[in-house]
Amino acid sequence: MDERLQAALDFSNYQQTFSIQRKTLKEKIEAKLTYGFNGGLFRIDKNLLTFVEVISAKRSNGVVLMDANDNPILIDDLEAFKDEIFSRYFEATNEYYEQYQQLKKSRSVEKLIA
Amino acid sequence: MTTGILVYAHNSRSLDYALMSLIAAGLAKKNLNVPVSLVTDPSTVEWMRESNILEKATSVFENLIIVERPITDNQRKLCDGKNESMVPFVNSNRASAYDLTPYNRTLLIDSDYFIFSNRLSEYWNIDDDVLIGQSINDIYSGDRLGYNDRYISEVGINLYWATTVMFSKTPRAKTFFDTVNFVKENYKHYADIFRFDNRQYRNDIAFSVAKHILDGFINLDSGRLPPVLTTLDKDILASVEDNKLTFLISTPLGEKYIPASITDTDIHIMNKQSIIRHGSQLLEMI
Repeated sequence: MDERLQAALDFSNYQQTFSIQRKTLKEKIEAKLTYGFNGGLFRIDKNLLTFVEVISAKRSNGVVLMDANDNPILIDDLEAFKDEIFSRYFEATNEYYEQYQQLKKSRSVEKLIA
Repeated sequence: MTTGILVYAHNSRSLDYALMSLIAAGLAKKNLNVPVSLVTDPSTVEWMRESNILEKATSVFENLIIVERPITDNQRKLCDGKNESMVPFVNSNRASAYDLTPYNRTLLIDSDYFIFSNRLSEYWNIDDDVLIGQSINDIYSGDRLGYNDRYISEVGINLYWATTVMFSKTPRAKTFFDTVNFVKENYKHYADIFRFDNRQYRNDIAFSVAKHILDGFINLDSGRLPPVLTTLDKDILASVEDNKLTFLISTPLGEKYIPASITDTDIHIMNKQSIIRHGSQLLEMI
């Protein structure tokens, strides 16, 4: 086989494993960014973090937020809720960053799945 | 409120569901930190005794709920990598979960669904009375899935995956399970209405039809558990080490395998034979 084609096929194999590893890593992080609270389900993302930060300047108790299914959920203690979602966000994204860097550094299929 | 997990296991000559259910239960109990009960039958318990896992089972399961083995002629093609065989599926009594569960809030899982994270803990207190796995999430990509993996038929409604079902002991949930049972008992009739293939009974379809009916014949966003991350039966569980599962993932045309590994992620492993081959290593993880 032509060496150039062999190199392309080798890279293709590497890339497919890389894609699966990245997908399962994203799954793991997505799980950590799901937060069940007071009967509702929240996805901790930029929208939620920003919105909670903004409204916490206006009111700290008895705030109603829409959850991931657009159901209204009463948040009695907004500061505690804010602390929790920020804490989970930092933990999840730091883990994502570290494990993604590890993936990017892995230059062979063996290292990707190690 | 009591919370717990329910698993079903009815052994067949081809597949050791007793072993799979023990692994699934042990992992779920360890990672969700709630008790697990098993619905099974006398012959499967006898097999546990013969295969020396009964003692382990009685320590993992809070309750062994013994029922009559369902009578079924369900046969399905199952792959083990590139090998295919027809195997009996004895799983048509899943609608009895509402009556049998000892818990107020129950997570019902298939015995080939392995929980390695606490993701589903976030759903214990969700207001919905019944939640079902919203779709399949192929570990490789969507390229390997067909229309019938997403819908109950070419012209049908969304296919939910009863691999994971969470429910409360409420009148609404009871109505749901009664409806699943009714769909099962009138499977041909509902196949005519919803245009699905009725040659084999499939829990996923009965649950999907029941959800569709009780949602008011519309597609609602509520009542959904996360998509079920899945390796297909043509994929192979190649090794189990420490907390890591390594798979050989079949490419869409099946011309080669791609290695991949997972840690700390819930996974539905359709290749049951490869689970059984690694049974002892998986049992060490619980």
